[in-house]
Amino acid sequence: MTERTLYQRLFEPPRINQMAIGTKVVVYGLLLIWSAVVLFPIYWLLITSVKSAADVNGGPVYIPFVDFTPSLHAWRELFVVDYEDTLRAYFNSIIISLAATLLSTLIGSMAAYALARVKYAPNLVTVLIFAILMIITFVSIGIYGVDWRLVIASALAVFFFLMKAVSSRVKIPLKNGDILFWMISQRILAPIVVVVPIYMMFQTVRMLDTHLAIILTYAVVNLPIVVWLMYDFFTSIPRDLEESAQLDGATMFMTFREVVLPLSKAGLAATTLLVMILSWNEYLLALFLSTAKAQTMPILVAAMNAGERGILWWSMSAVIVVMIIPVVFMAVVLQRYISKGILLGAVKG
Amino acid sequence: MSELASDAKRLTISGMNKYYGAFHAVKDLNIEVEPGEFLVLLGPSGCGKSTALRMIAGLEEISSGSLTLGGRDLTDVLPKYRDIAMVFQSYALYPHKTVAENIGFPLKVAKVEKDLMERAVYEAASQVHMEGLLDRFPRQLSGGQRQRVALARAIIRRPACFLMDEPLSNLDAKLRGAMRAELKHMQKSLGVTTIYVTHDQIEAMTLAHRVAIMKDGILQQLGTPAQVYSDPANLFVAGFMGSPPMNFIEGVAGRGTLDLGDAQLPLSGVAEGTKVTLGFRPEDSQVMDAGSGRFDADVFTSEMTGDLTLVTLRRGETHMTIKMPKDYEAPSDDRAAIGFEAAQAYLFDTDTGARLDASLTEG
Repeated sequence: MTERTLYQRLFEPPRINQMAIGTKVVVYGLLLIWSAVVLFPIYWLLITSVKSAADVNGGPVYIPFVDFTPSLHAWRELFVVDYEDTLRAYFNSIIISLAATLLSTLIGSMAAYALARVKYAPNLVTVLIFAILMIITFVSIGIYGVDWRLVIASALAVFFFLMKAVSSRVKIPLKNGDILFWMISQRILAPIVVVVPIYMMFQTVRMLDTHLAIILTYAVVNLPIVVWLMYDFFTSIPRDLEESAQLDGATMFMTFREVVLPLSKAGLAATTLLVMILSWNEYLLALFLSTAKAQTMPILVAAMNAGERGILWWSMSAVIVVMIIPVVFMAVVLQRYISKGILLGAVKG
Repeated sequence: MSELASDAKRLTISGMNKYYGAFHAVKDLNIEVEPGEFLVLLGPSGCGKSTALRMIAGLEEISSGSLTLGGRDLTDVLPKYRDIAMVFQSYALYPHKTVAENIGFPLKVAKVEKDLMERAVYEAASQVHMEGLLDRFPRQLSGGQRQRVALARAIIRRPACFLMDEPLSNLDAKLRGAMRAELKHMQKSLGVTTIYVTHDQIEAMTLAHRVAIMKDGILQQLGTPAQVYSDPANLFVAGFMGSPPMNFIEGVAGRGTLDLGDAQLPLSGVAEGTKVTLGFRPEDSQVMDAGSGRFDADVFTSEMTGDLTLVTLRRGETHMTIKMPKDYEAPSDDRAAIGFEAAQAYLFDTDTGARLDASLTEG
């Protein structure tokens, strides 16, 4: 072991194996206490899932086989008696969150890269004209039943006319930062505000209670988060690397795939995990968009709270334990990518 | 080896300009780079040399003007189609790829067959003596080794032109000297037209066939290292080349004299009243006993550097450095004179900085 310099002794915390025995005991003691605080809820879930109704309602008991006799009645009910409902919700959750995560990280990271590296300057006036005309188009087709060919043709004509007449005179360019903020602002909006319109949209196209409806909704809701996080990662990659790839003959997409993506593994892993967990736990939108076939786990958990038999704490705990497993699995798989030092050696000495 | 050599091509920059909004970064640049020539763009930071290089690479748009390589117009061609390789100041190695993958990347992108690529990678790596480290990652290499990998990645494509943006500035002084020599040797053996950007005038002098000196986006002088050193076009070039730089004294032209205040030097060919800056190089002048030289000055310091002694003298606010032999001892009374041949004095117009077509006369 090398002697620590005065500077190191003053300003750098010592490593745990360099500490005196007494300090070690204190440090590990504190860590143990904190671990207990963090892990206790999970322990509580596990034991509650094997408690009987009487054990739950009769005041707190902590240690199985000592304080109470564990029974698997909740587990049996979920996975033997009602196994169809449970497994359906479980697979729904897995399919929906995986697909939504894949979709939003794929589209979101490409959008983020474009925002990080391509200069955009669309005219706000043109964008507004386009948006308003699109709304008018949808309303006239969907609500008033006007022939769609007629509507689209006239909307296009009006759009090009207005573009010539107005957009060429009034120019309010949107910069990349504006576009990025607009994307993030979509997430600032509380989901409850858009839940009814989304419901009606899927009702109109007869897609309520389908996987696709929930997948699309989740992907859209999570897109801003992906763009926001990945934008930060992409801007932190030295531009030299991408310019060098360009000079080496790579196209922009090749540069993205060969240079940028491998260097963003850490960011991608973190973002994927976050979006995955958000989709996995999402309740409000799932509540509106699913009734039976496409029901997800959070809905199942909530249902245990509302039956005529009162709150089924034991069943709820069992379901939650099952829900935690895939998330922990994902975290373990992805955590090795979420480490620093990936850019080491890219530039300078 | 000879497989790597490509047919050298002529690069022509004509009337090239770069604007960033209202800022005029490169002003009407005209340079003809001969096939196989090693051209160095030299200038202080912010002089537009890197911008010019990036325009040649295609990383910056050319605001106006044109660029041709081997007769082919590149002005609006995307970087990947330019047949130009660039070595970045930061080396820009891909940190997640091994040395072999880094060197082979241009061929991978071009979808070259695998065994052909492996051979080319080995050959390029051998050129820079890195063939033993092909499986390493950039983070496991020293600065000099990273530099070599970056070079190998540039030569593997056999490009028509090399661009180098201060490739040696991240190396320590000793390694820089060694790499400089290797770079020069490699460029000569490959015979590829090369444009090299640096702010280090020693690098420029030692490497270049010709040096282009830039300041504020304007090309100041283009010539061989010997030309720009011994025949500088203006005050800026004269002051930029040489270490220590040329000494300058300001004065006013009188009737047949250069009036330096306390001294008059015989002068011909300059209109009376013109503000004139007199320049002389440290190695072209000597410290003499007070009263016996061109003019007197106070001895400020004397520094022994090993192979010579640098004597700094002060005249008013102006400091001047003279190179003297290593066993020289400065006069004890702190008063000395500076002497130089009339032919080794340079005269500039103080206001415009332009070199004056005039000289001191012996008298």
